[in-house]
This record gives sequence, C-alpha cells and structure tokens, in this order.
Amino acid sequence: MRQSYLLSGALALFLASCQLVEFSPNQTYVPVAERNLTSRNLRQLATAGPSLGDTVRFVFVGDTQRFYDETEQFVASVNQQRGIDFVLVAGDISDFGLLREFRWVNQRLQRLRVPYLTVIGNHDVVGNGRAVYQQVYGPLNYSFLYKGTRFVCLDTNGREYGFGRQVPDLAWLRRQLADTAARTVVVSHVPPTDEDFDPALVQGYAATLRACPNLVLHLSGHVHRYTAAQPFHDGITYLTTYSLEKHRYHILTMWGHRQFRLETVVYGAES
Amino acid sequence: MGQKAKWLWLVCALAPGALQAQSSGVAPAGPFFLSLHVAGGTGLVALGGGYRVAHQRLEPELLVGYLPHRLSGGKALAIFTLKATYLPFAPTLGHSRWQVTPVTLGAMVNYTTGRQFFLTNNTAGRYRPGYYWWSSAVRVGALVGLRLSYLDPRPGSAPRFTSLYSELSTNDLHLVSLLTNRSLRLPDVLTLGAGLK
Repeated sequence: MRQSYLLSGALALFLASCQLVEFSPNQTYVPVAERNLTSRNLRQLATAGPSLGDTVRFVFVGDTQRFYDETEQFVASVNQQRGIDFVLVAGDISDFGLLREFRWVNQRLQRLRVPYLTVIGNHDVVGNGRAVYQQVYGPLNYSFLYKGTRFVCLDTNGREYGFGRQVPDLAWLRRQLADTAARTVVVSHVPPTDEDFDPALVQGYAATLRACPNLVLHLSGHVHRYTAAQPFHDGITYLTTYSLEKHRYHILTMWGHRQFRLETVVYGAES
Repeated sequence: MGQKAKWLWLVCALAPGALQAQSSGVAPAGPFFLSLHVAGGTGLVALGGGYRVAHQRLEPELLVGYLPHRLSGGKALAIFTLKATYLPFAPTLGHSRWQVTPVTLGAMVNYTTGRQFFLTNNTAGRYRPGYYWWSSAVRVGALVGLRLSYLDPRPGSAPRFTSLYSELSTNDLHLVSLLTNRSLRLPDVLTLGAGLK
C-alpha cells in the first residue's frame, strides 16, 4: 500500500516536473520548489554573498521574454564573471504571461552561480500572468537590504491597470525610501518617461525619488536598449538596460555614498 | 454481407459512449455522446458532449472546463472548448469487443473566462492597436491521441461504445515559443489530457 502511494507520488512529481500535465496554460500551480523564488533567492543571497566591504556588484538585464536561447547564452556568460553578487532582471520575464514561460525562464536562470531577482513587467501582467508571477516569484513590490544598499523593486506597469492611479504604489515607495541611512537603488520595469507609465503619477514618482538623498540610480527595462538620462533635470539618473535579444548586459558596481560604475558586456553570437 | 458490414462499420465508427446509437449503425451522422475530460489545458476537469459526423469519423464537441481557485491563483475560471477529433481508423483487437484507435487527430479553440483576460488587444480598451498581437482569452490548439473503445452489446437495442482516450496537445502561444527557440524541444510544449466518451 505504502509502495503504491510512493509510486503514485513519484509519478505525480514526474508529470509535474516535465510539465506534461497542465490544466490550463494560465494556471498558477507549480511544484513547491518553484514557488516564492524571490524570498528563496534573497535567502540564498544573504547566506552566500561575498561580504567584504560595502561594494556591491551585480548584473543588470531586462526582458527575457521568449528569448530562451539567448537566456542560455546569457547564463553561460554571467557564470564566467568574477565577483558578481546577484543578477537583476528588469521585468518581462514572460511574453504572454503563461505559467510555462516563467518555468522555462527559471529553468535557465537557476543555472546561474549567483541568485537572481526580478521585477514584474507589463507582459508578466497579461492574462493571468500577475497571479502566476505572485506564485512563482512573490510580491509585486518588495525591497531588500544588501551590503548597505537598499534595493526597492516595484510594479510600474500602469497601463495594465488602466492607468487607475494605483500603480506604481507611491505611498509604499515613500515608506521604502524613508530608510535614509542606506544607499538606495529603485528598480522597475516601465520607466516613468514611457507612455506605459501612469501619466497621472509621473510627477509624484519623480518627486518621491528626488526626495531620497541616497538614491544612486533608477533602473528599468521595457525599452530593450540602453539609455541613461536625467529626464526631470533633478540630478536623478534614470537608466534602462538591454533585452536578452540584444546580447548585451550591464554590470553595475556601487560603493561609497552614491558612486557607481557601469560596464557593458557583449556575449554570444548575434544572429 | 449484413452482419459483417455492420461490424466493419462499427469498427470504423468507434461510437464512443453513445447516448443512443443509430439502430442501423450506418448513419452518416450521430449519435450524440457525452465527454468527461481531464487536464489537457481545458480545465482540471471538463464536461461536455458532441455529435458524430462524416460517417462517424469526426467528433465535434463542446466542453465546459473548471479551473478551481487553487489552480487559477484567484477566482475559479471556466474554460469553454470547441474541439473536433478525427478518427482515421479503428481496428478491433482479435474477435473481442475491444477496439483500438492508434492515432486520433484534432483541433480545438477555447475561451477562458475572467476579467483579467482580453478577447483582443483592442477590446481590452487600454492598448493602442497592435500593442499585443494575441488574445489572452482565446487559445487555439492541435492534438494527437489514441483511444481504446469497448463495445457494450445490448440485446434489443443499439450497441453502445465507451471509449477511454488520451491525447497530447499544444497551443498557439506555446508553439510560437517553440518555433522561435532552438533550446525549447517539442516535449516542452506538449500537454497531456485524457478522458472518457
């Protein structure tokens, strides 16, 4: 009897792991090992991070959406880098907001030697994607402290919510930025200069960031290319990064009060 | 000819779980059947039925699937599926009442309820034309399967078939992902479903 339980359990696990049994492409159900990846990866970061000094060095890339081949090449390239603390993916993990896409991306990114963290992109909100993201990664807005740096990751996909003045959550953002002791980085998918950012919240968002004296950078994806500017002429630098299809990623190094260095890495073959 | 032809016809027809089989067994269409389907992207479980046409080689059917909140991550969802299955042949196993269809082919289109899904980019009301090229509510799929049928002889009435089937399917968006990436393989985009008719 017990053997048959074990056998059926093993069969269920096998079927779930090879993704063959799916009740809807929009379902959120995944095996326990593939849930809450944000908190899992943060725990991994807290225990495994090289902890000398206050210098934090991380890979920054955006938009893995349906670029699975490139994601594999990306992982191979990042794994050859030295002294990387973690990888930050600026949203649009998926293209269609389907569960399997998130799993395909995680199957590749979990081969990174360092933990990876994400923010939710507009393509991840589509359909049931928002619920899938919450199941696979966790909260849409979260922040963490690492080597004296506060990383604030939030949902800025205003268009997906019909520009209801709810997203991004400025009250939540203000609370995170109240921790003035730490060097701060804000990460979102849609930059506030984009047409997909809720136009009613652009000025409030920029003002909230301006009020944070320790803000190093604002980081985004969405536009699939590198841009760096101070669009609000307030000394706050807004940076966007490449999508996976561009075969490029950034390495950001931060130290001191607000010092940073930006490197660009080209990898794989552009076909 | 009579008895043999009738048998042959029934073999080809694979009348699945018929509510009421045609008495002659050679009708070009009918009878109705009921379906109970599990997984395969059409809900945890889906119930429905259909009507056999094209000399009982083609089974169009409508399924209503249920995706409970534990699987949908929010409100429970309903999935309405229009599906057509084609049965090229169905040899009998020896002289038994069992028949096997080694290959069935099919196509389906389904609609998932829920406010988070849009029928088209434009009906969503928040995107400019062409922002998203696909519908998040409607999926189109293709499937291949196999089936085992049992003929239940009923003295004085038409024979009745009960079929157990399984099928592997994929949908348009998974297929697009497969076709644009060498590192995805066919098994990555397949979904297993099974049912009774």
